[in-house]
Amino acid sequence: MIESRVLKPALALYVVLFLLFLYGPFVVLGILSFQQGPEGGPQFPITQWSIFWYKHILGLAPPSRVSPLPIGISLVRSLTLAGLTMITSTVLGVMAAQAFRRNFRGKAAAFYLIVLGMIVPGVLVGLGSALVATTTGIERHWWSTAFATHVVYTLPFAFLVMLAIFNRFDASVEEASWSLGVPPARTFRKVTFPLIFPGVLSAMLFAFTLSYDEFARTLFSSGREQTLPLAIYATFSVEIHPNVFAFGVLTTLFSFALLAVYAILMSLSVRRAKQVAIQEAIQ
Amino acid sequence: MSEEPVLRLDGLTKRFGNRVALSGVTFSVERSEYVGLFGPSGAGKTTLLRAIAGFDVPDAGRIYLAGRDITHKPAHERGIGFVFQNFALFPHLSVMDNVAFGLRNGIKRMPEPEVRSHALEVIELVGLKGLEDRGIGQISGGQKQRVALARTLVIRPRLVLLDEPLGALDANLRLRMRAELRRIREQLQIPFLHVTGNETEALAMGDRLIVLDQGRIGQLGTPEEVYNRPASANVARFLNRYNVFDGVLQNGSFASAYGHFPYGMRVAGQKPAYAIRYDRVIAKEKDAVSHGPVVRANYIASEYLGAAIVHFFQTNDLKVVEVEHHLSNGPPETFAEGCTYDLTWKPDDGIVFG
Amino acid sequence: MALYLAETPGIPPAETVDGSVETRTPRRAVSSYLLIAPAVVWMTLFLVIPMAMIVYVSFWTQTTFKIEPILTLDSWETFFSSGTYVNSLWTTLRIWLIVLTATFVFGYPTALFVGLFVKNKTLQTTLLVLCVIPFWTSFLIRVLAWRPMLGKEGAINILLLKAGIVHQPIEALLFTDLSVVIGMTQIYVVFMVGPIAFMLGRIDPNILEAARDLGANFWQILRKIIFPLSLPGVVVGAMFVSVMVLGEFATSAALSGRKVNLLGNIIVTQVGSLKWALASVVGVILTIIMGLVIAGLLRIVDLKQEL
Repeated sequence: MIESRVLKPALALYVVLFLLFLYGPFVVLGILSFQQGPEGGPQFPITQWSIFWYKHILGLAPPSRVSPLPIGISLVRSLTLAGLTMITSTVLGVMAAQAFRRNFRGKAAAFYLIVLGMIVPGVLVGLGSALVATTTGIERHWWSTAFATHVVYTLPFAFLVMLAIFNRFDASVEEASWSLGVPPARTFRKVTFPLIFPGVLSAMLFAFTLSYDEFARTLFSSGREQTLPLAIYATFSVEIHPNVFAFGVLTTLFSFALLAVYAILMSLSVRRAKQVAIQEAIQ
Repeated sequence: MSEEPVLRLDGLTKRFGNRVALSGVTFSVERSEYVGLFGPSGAGKTTLLRAIAGFDVPDAGRIYLAGRDITHKPAHERGIGFVFQNFALFPHLSVMDNVAFGLRNGIKRMPEPEVRSHALEVIELVGLKGLEDRGIGQISGGQKQRVALARTLVIRPRLVLLDEPLGALDANLRLRMRAELRRIREQLQIPFLHVTGNETEALAMGDRLIVLDQGRIGQLGTPEEVYNRPASANVARFLNRYNVFDGVLQNGSFASAYGHFPYGMRVAGQKPAYAIRYDRVIAKEKDAVSHGPVVRANYIASEYLGAAIVHFFQTNDLKVVEVEHHLSNGPPETFAEGCTYDLTWKPDDGIVFG
Repeated sequence: MALYLAETPGIPPAETVDGSVETRTPRRAVSSYLLIAPAVVWMTLFLVIPMAMIVYVSFWTQTTFKIEPILTLDSWETFFSSGTYVNSLWTTLRIWLIVLTATFVFGYPTALFVGLFVKNKTLQTTLLVLCVIPFWTSFLIRVLAWRPMLGKEGAINILLLKAGIVHQPIEALLFTDLSVVIGMTQIYVVFMVGPIAFMLGRIDPNILEAARDLGANFWQILRKIIFPLSLPGVVVGAMFVSVMVLGEFATSAALSGRKVNLLGNIIVTQVGSLKWALASVVGVILTIIMGLVIAGLLRIVDLKQEL
């Protein structure tokens, strides 16, 4: 192509460096997670290689002056919150995207309103919801106020994913169903939904991931009980120990596992909805 | 026996923005008919079909099904079957589940054993016996076609609409399916309204043809009527069988750019034009003796169609004239490329509009 | 069989038919409204109202630990009369611009490579996935991971010392502006690469071939064809990055040790001391800045058309 001989290798080299830049901290973090404990600090050099900190995370290490990360319960809260958010925002997002298949008055305004949720930074939404809670006397909890704010954040993503899915969706199977005497609601259940399900799955995963790691919004709205990111944030100002790094490695592996589960679910459901209603006009 | 026609359209009109897709369409269909809806692309055939099915709402006019006004009824309450060009089969269901879908999910509920037996009956009717448990991805195009048909027939619709059902099939399959569709319709005595852009198919399939011309009805009649007595120059053009010349009607003959053409048949009230069938034109040597109109043109090329040959000629002002020769009438003549010939025909065969 | 002709007498041709029998059955519109209602209600209750509260409360009176709905401009004065606070405004804008530029400068070549030079679709996807994988580590941990990289005894300094490039550890790497910029760039650069690579991937290679045939060299093609066509992606990327950087506080907290004070940091600390009114003032200022940035970016390219 253009100037392939010089430019392409040069760019390729750049991309390699770029990826190193992206992964650098993680690599360092991974290395340091094997730091000697409990005296070893979160910096080089590695005084001694050990898996002390992994044991520390799992609660298996002997007690030391380093307090364990409050993982257990906050992890459960994070997962529950993410699950609730995932279900709510996906349901709302699918409904909204379905509404958007037709024209109606105020369609543009509704679009901007929904997308606004992903544009406004967490710090502002968090502040706002904290204000509302304080002035109206509503108590802040991770399962109420934080939940509401999380959905505000993830709903636009679920919505956009479903919009894209419906864009590619061939409506003639729905029309076929109607022509057979099947009412629209039933048609959605039996025809449309099974075929858009892979997209719904993507939206759900997106929403879950966003909520699970969400921190800024939760900071303001979760009240006294902490979710996982909050627990970690709390350690920022205090001394940092390599247990956080070990934790980082573990969470990344967890994310990989999550993605693997998703990939398996996807391939199963895609095989079922084989042509995913994108039927060519002429074969 | 006089009863309400199964389908009656009255002044159906549909606009898309500024474009008028259908304009004042009026006709009716009886129970015992196979009706072909034919016209070039953009004529409004699919729009008309979708309006009848209830997928789109017309801007004006009325639709009556067995006497009842269904103009504003939603599609799922009409009891009109629809076979899509791309089949629109449910990809996540098997053949049996596709066919049984309407019975299982429609408004009237039927016990499952009945559902299965009805479905199997229709599956056998369309010639798919044994394939009930196959997935949609495991059957051929022709078989998909039959599933689409079976799915619709099993709910006993009053009328079946077919939107270019044979368009996705290869030529051989198309011919066989044409016969199949007629057979099935005869057996069930449900009217079929079959849309096609292919004039051969239209002429072959229908008991009656509706020719659609830019959203209006160009002609209604049997294939024989439409073929031999097209109602307008446009209809003649759509049939792909007529050479059409522009000009004006003057003192009993047609004045064209190539001289005066006497004619045999006249269709009044149309835009002026003159039509002569491809297979009624004869190509003679230049300046040979002729007893009818003569158009001088240069030979370009020939197309071999199996039972006939079509020769293409072009006049000096670039009008293409086609001459069709049926090989059962004798061996074909050969022409020299670029040479000039006289094209002529019997005046009685000419049709003039105007 | 009788022949029906086009204009049956008594039925007027379409053009003169006025209005129509109802074009859309009302019930169809109703279902759309029902479907969209929950989302709209949710966003209004939990996004619009909170945002409105921020504006409203910014004018409330602040007592030591409470606020009262007595309107006043006190908190606004407090903000603008304090050097620290006004400084944070400039710092925020400064950091935003630097990070935006950095993510663009560092991200564009990568997007160029992935979107334009890599032909193989699988390789393209793989590279993009590679860029996204770091996201699977929790955001906070990623921020934290920079500490051991940037400190005096950090990995970078160790490498540089070992390689003999410097003889003394660079102090400026941690707890400065630079550390915040580096951290943010690394975290947000992917949001630039993605949209730009997407737009570049949509460029018809035939156009580039044609330009070559007409004698253009690479830089001309880049300037006049590739870059303009990728502009919508740049704008989208800029919007993502801007929104995230302007709302940032965690990275600056972790990597600058309180030295770099962004507007986001101020909101957090003020809320911590229950100074709601001041926090709201900062919130309003931040919203205005973001609104201006987004409006400005949207002017560059008419996104609706391009996408």
